Amino acid sequence: MAATKDFTASGESTIIGPSILINGKLSGDEDLTVRGRVEGELSLTKTLIVEPSGVVKANVQVRNAIISGVVVGNISATESVELTREGRMVGDIHSPRVIIVDGASFRGRVDMGNAEPRPASERPAQRATTVSRPAIRPAMVAAPARPTIVSRPLGKPQPPAAPVIASKIDRGEGSKPAPPPPPQPVLVGEAGKKKVLLKKKK
Amino acid sequence: MANTVIGSSITIDGEISGDEDLVIQGTVKGKISLKESLFVEASASVEADIEVQNVEITGKVTGNIAATDKVELKADCRVVGDVRAPRILIADGASFKGNVDMDVKER
Repeated sequence: MAATKDFTASGESTIIGPSILINGKLSGDEDLTVRGRVEGELSLTKTLIVEPSGVVKANVQVRNAIISGVVVGNISATESVELTREGRMVGDIHSPRVIIVDGASFRGRVDMGNAEPRPASERPAQRATTVSRPAIRPAMVAAPARPTIVSRPLGKPQPPAAPVIASKIDRGEGSKPAPPPPPQPVLVGEAGKKKVLLKKKK
Repeated sequence: MANTVIGSSITIDGEISGDEDLVIQGTVKGKISLKESLFVEASASVEADIEVQNVEITGKVTGNIAATDKVELKADCRVVGDVRAPRILIADGASFKGNVDMDVKER
């Protein structure tokens, strides 16, 4: 109720009272306070205030929107959209500034326009990939099918003997990605040993 | 004073309905139905069929007006359309074109 502005009979503000229903297009160049219902389309060059008793089921284009009531529909604001503690909204918000306070209820998309690139968020992401690399490799091998979580397409399916060695090598060389050791020789060696052993037994 | 005010820069194209007084200073096209009073102020322009209890017109109205109680056309108003109400007042200076029907007691 902090947003409530009571202009008693002043001509500078438009108020839609609690029992009023407007169905259709509404446009204007002044602040609009909705305590009733507005359905359809709403476009203002100033501020829309939806009070706790207000219901707006419309596509809204405004400069600012302060929502303490219910809004169903998309809001496109040139400055800001604020969902207060009592605000409930379903729809998409397109605005450079979007404020959603604790207690507000919202379902939909938010688009603040330019999603500014944050290097801080990229660094941990890179670190995460290097750290997870040794972990990913055995996991990948453990699952015979091509795992979908692995972002790095590591082509050949490896036999279960390989991963232990591969991960050991990785740890020894640090974060530098080591080429996966060819598993074939290991197998061949084991096979050879077996054969030799068998021959010895014979 | 009334709860609901349609400001002078506001344009509404559609239906307005409700149970409270309505003051129009802007532009309304479509339909207005209220169970209370409607005030069309001097700056207002209304192109709508109006169904209300009372209506007081100082601005411009094009459309049929049906009131359950009273229609008041003030000085300087401009009204084009049929008016149906048990009580109809037309002030000196008002401009009006249309039919007047005061027979209806209850619509």
